[in-house]
Amino acid sequence: MKKVLVVDDSLSVGRQLSQIIAGTGEFEVIGPARNGVEAIKMYQTDRPDIVCLDMNMPVMDGPTALRSIMAIDRNARVVMITSLGGVGDKFTEALKLGARNVISKPFKPDEVLKVLREL
Amino acid sequence: MPVKFFGQFLLEKGIVTREALLKAVGPQDSTNLKFGETARSMGLITDADIDRVHDAQRSEDLPFGDMCVKLGILTADQLKEVLAKQKAGHLFIGEALIKTGAINANDLPKYLEAFKADQAPYVIDKVAIPAGVPDAALWEAAADLTYKMLSRVAGFTVRPGQCVLTQHLDANDTVVSIGMTGSVKARYLFSVSTNVRTLIARAMLNTDDVSKEQEDMLNDTVMELANVICGHIEARASQMGKEIEISPPEVLTDGVNGIPVPTGGKGLLFPLHVAEGRIEAGIFLEQV
Repeated sequence: MKKVLVVDDSLSVGRQLSQIIAGTGEFEVIGPARNGVEAIKMYQTDRPDIVCLDMNMPVMDGPTALRSIMAIDRNARVVMITSLGGVGDKFTEALKLGARNVISKPFKPDEVLKVLREL
Repeated sequence: MPVKFFGQFLLEKGIVTREALLKAVGPQDSTNLKFGETARSMGLITDADIDRVHDAQRSEDLPFGDMCVKLGILTADQLKEVLAKQKAGHLFIGEALIKTGAINANDLPKYLEAFKADQAPYVIDKVAIPAGVPDAALWEAAADLTYKMLSRVAGFTVRPGQCVLTQHLDANDTVVSIGMTGSVKARYLFSVSTNVRTLIARAMLNTDDVSKEQEDMLNDTVMELANVICGHIEARASQMGKEIEISPPEVLTDGVNGIPVPTGGKGLLFPLHVAEGRIEAGIFLEQV
């Protein structure tokens, strides 16, 4: 079963995402990590197959954490989760840094699962 | 579907792959020159002029071309010429995807139609901003997106009140603040009564019963809703040519006493009438 690390500073989004991802029995959820620093630590210790990484977080934001995770593992499968509604530059920047896809908030469960299944 | 860009829409729909999109962004980066680069390619300005404009923009918020005219580097007619050349040479992502073979030219109109239909709910209605407020178009969009997200994400039927200038946001049970920096320096405030917070929590957590939820979780759902609203404002600002950064949301512990507009700033209040309780959105601009 693929392990998915959920990273979001929002308690409600962390819970929602975890329920959606774990709900089908296809994925095991680890976390949620609450910021980029926690995400990097958990990536190193747990080596998840997929990371769902929020863009806008305190302490360390998503793009900075993404850079570090890609430096640790250039094959990391990271999906950015963003309420930034698809700001063009940030969207393409995340892809250039190595993100595999971007999911916009508010998200629908089937959209999240579709993206994860395709990774 | 939230406010988004055409390339993101195509990726999310599985019409193009991430790799194909990145391949198309390359020609866009090299073709779509900034105003200064276009003017330089036309022989109208030099690198030293560009540095002068950037220096001047640090103390005055003017678009690059307007600053060139103000500094006497370009005439008003030359400004129009550069803008026309920039527009004529612009490579849109759809065209770039055709060029790189990611999509078929015959399919582009169909995809654009689907994208237009997807984004139709986010087209801005007119919200009147009081005279003399800078960036009025952006704050109109902010108000409109607030109404729409409250309706679409949290299920409220909202009747917007008249936007007014204010000196403070009235006390309310939960007040969330999100900072905006970059092209604008402002704070987005979102205040709700306890029963409205409960309804937001139900919608955000997708459950009918939130009676056992802790305060932190209930407040978090209001923060997240405000975060989603501000994310969309940031996206809309970007489409308007303004780059803003939003900070993570926070609940203001002094919200129960009301929030004053910062000294020298301006406060915009957007009352929102809902049957279930009290909601207000405010935008406090710093030192206007």
